Amino acid sequence: MIEVEQLRKSFGELTAVDGVSFTARAGEIFGLLGPNGAGKTTTIGCISGLLTPTAGRVRVMGHDAVHDGPAAREALGVAPQEIALYDDLSALENLAFWGGAQRMRNPLLHRRIQEVLEITGLQDRAREPVKRFSGGMKRRLNLACAIVHSPRVLLLDEPTVGVDPQSRVRLLELVRSEAQAGRCVLYTTHYMEEAETLCDRLAIMDHGRIIAAGTLAELRSMLAERDLLRLAGVFAPAAARAAVERVEGIEVLQADDSLLILSVAEASRKLPAIFAALAAAGADVRGTTLTQPSLESLFIRLTGKELRE
Amino acid sequence: MKDLRILRRDPFSVLTWVGIPLCIGLLIHLVFGGSGGQAQPQGVLLLADQDNTFTSRMLAGAFGSDPLGKMLTVEKVDAAEGRARIDRGDGSALLIVPKGLQDAFLNSRPYRLRLFTNAGQRILPKIVEETLRGMVDGAFYLQRVAGDQLRGMDSGREPSEADVVLRAIRTRRLAIEMSRYLSPPLIGLETTVVAEKHSASAANFFFPNMIFLALLLMANGLSTDIWKERTMGTLRRLAMTPASIAAFLAGRVATVAMVYCAASVAAVAAARYLAGVTVSNMAAAAGWAALSGTLFYLLLLPLAIYSSGQRGADVRGNLLVFPLAMAGGCFFPFEVMPDWLVRIGRWTPNGLAVVQFKDVLLGTVHPSHLATVLAGLAAAGLLAYLLALRGLRGAFLQ
Repeated sequence: MIEVEQLRKSFGELTAVDGVSFTARAGEIFGLLGPNGAGKTTTIGCISGLLTPTAGRVRVMGHDAVHDGPAAREALGVAPQEIALYDDLSALENLAFWGGAQRMRNPLLHRRIQEVLEITGLQDRAREPVKRFSGGMKRRLNLACAIVHSPRVLLLDEPTVGVDPQSRVRLLELVRSEAQAGRCVLYTTHYMEEAETLCDRLAIMDHGRIIAAGTLAELRSMLAERDLLRLAGVFAPAAARAAVERVEGIEVLQADDSLLILSVAEASRKLPAIFAALAAAGADVRGTTLTQPSLESLFIRLTGKELRE
Repeated sequence: MKDLRILRRDPFSVLTWVGIPLCIGLLIHLVFGGSGGQAQPQGVLLLADQDNTFTSRMLAGAFGSDPLGKMLTVEKVDAAEGRARIDRGDGSALLIVPKGLQDAFLNSRPYRLRLFTNAGQRILPKIVEETLRGMVDGAFYLQRVAGDQLRGMDSGREPSEADVVLRAIRTRRLAIEMSRYLSPPLIGLETTVVAEKHSASAANFFFPNMIFLALLLMANGLSTDIWKERTMGTLRRLAMTPASIAAFLAGRVATVAMVYCAASVAAVAAARYLAGVTVSNMAAAAGWAALSGTLFYLLLLPLAIYSSGQRGADVRGNLLVFPLAMAGGCFFPFEVMPDWLVRIGRWTPNGLAVVQFKDVLLGTVHPSHLATVLAGLAAAGLLAYLLALRGLRGAFLQ
């Protein structure tokens, strides 16, 4: 279990995490969703003891991450965003080293290494130096090193970045099985689909703050079944905004020279009225995208920008 | 264990480190002929003896005996052959002794020796010329002092007993007359052989410095390796485990010490068996070198850790190591350095260590002095370790 209360972390003038609070429970996958620079990795750093919080409190399985660091870290397994492995060592040697760092000793360590190699599908390449591995294999080993000591809490920081689709599916299955085994999993990502399919509960972060949190269903309900309508073309932003706001049930999320993003109830029925209003305002619409309610549309609605910006 | 395994996977780097002192040993061996003694040029003196008398044979014999005999091989040739050989650069010098040397010497007549030198050589022809000049001067004074006696010996017949007695009396009178000038000598010369067992060979002179230069360069390379852990993210990952950073650092230092042990054993063995350096106690010498190398590593480690990146660490390391090597007697031995620089250099870590190393090699080390130096260096090493640890736990991880 992870409990984060009013966590704040500043680097000089920059506040990377500002008043973040959440609780991740055993047996669930808790997602931290947000664009790059939102503060997800800094939050993970504070939970893992790598960073000392400027304010607030973090507890891992009841142990304070600052004042009872070693006990908290003993309960943790961390797969960092960067692939942190020794390239010159084999998968077996890496697992032995990271297991040893978690105070595991033989013969338990040896047995667990064999299990983890099998789970991650690396047993055939176990004795090869990691530098010969593909990106997907390295990612799997990166995760394997985090779970080799059977931690009660798993911190996975964007574990699927740069991974091929096949390896991604395998990694996600692995994460699910870890949660099913009763572990508390904190999972950060900026992939909407991943968060939607994997996480039991989510917190959406931006600029160091949590801007929305809850189950996927709870978050979707915040959109009130409104569709997201993206219009590309040439616009006079103020005139376009004024024109579409005259149509009933439309909220303008973003308006600039080339893009107009609208939150619309029953968008398919209102399209003719929207186009007519824009034409009257002198806009030249060249492309239209209609999106069903999703985390992405929620993020855009909450922040006024797209998640991958 | 992890660091040793990584080293095992990259044996080239280990071999390079160990190979540096071995290469130096080999080079010294090749340059100084492996004897470890003073290098001496070897040459050939071509001698065309047309006089072929006792005096001319004495002249040839002088060049053939020590110490000239170690440098020159005297080869008898006829004048034409000798001239042809020296013209094509075969030989250091050609000395032609025309007929009439003995007669001219005994009867104080003008005489001309002919010496041809090889322009392609610098040292040996000059030695022959100066030696010959000395002999000619000596012959002049000998002739002035004992010309009558010498001429008397050249009568060409067997001397009678009366002649022998007469010559003995004349020689005694000459000795008494000369003794007024020569005996007792007004200036006495007392010769004391200092530390005769110390061989001041070129290898003894240079090799210890070369070893310590290699140790310093190794320390520089090994200390910046910490940035690999930073770049790979493994150190950050380690900080997220219950493992202690202090134990991690201690493990690295232990690995470095093992590498230094291997390199030091190789270097001292090369010194002894390839370069002929005096090594009174191999284990002590290798141990001191390994200890010194590990200390250099510890001293350079904080510099690397508190740098802004690996490149910065490399630059800072080089900026420190090369002046240290220069001042601390690792490029040039203290013996050839100016006094003011020696006074500074002896207080550098490598200067302190190299002086003790030379004493360990020669077996003249004072245990109490060695212990003092060791304690001082160990204290500096401990301080550097704590500084490095503080750096690793701080900004280096962020």
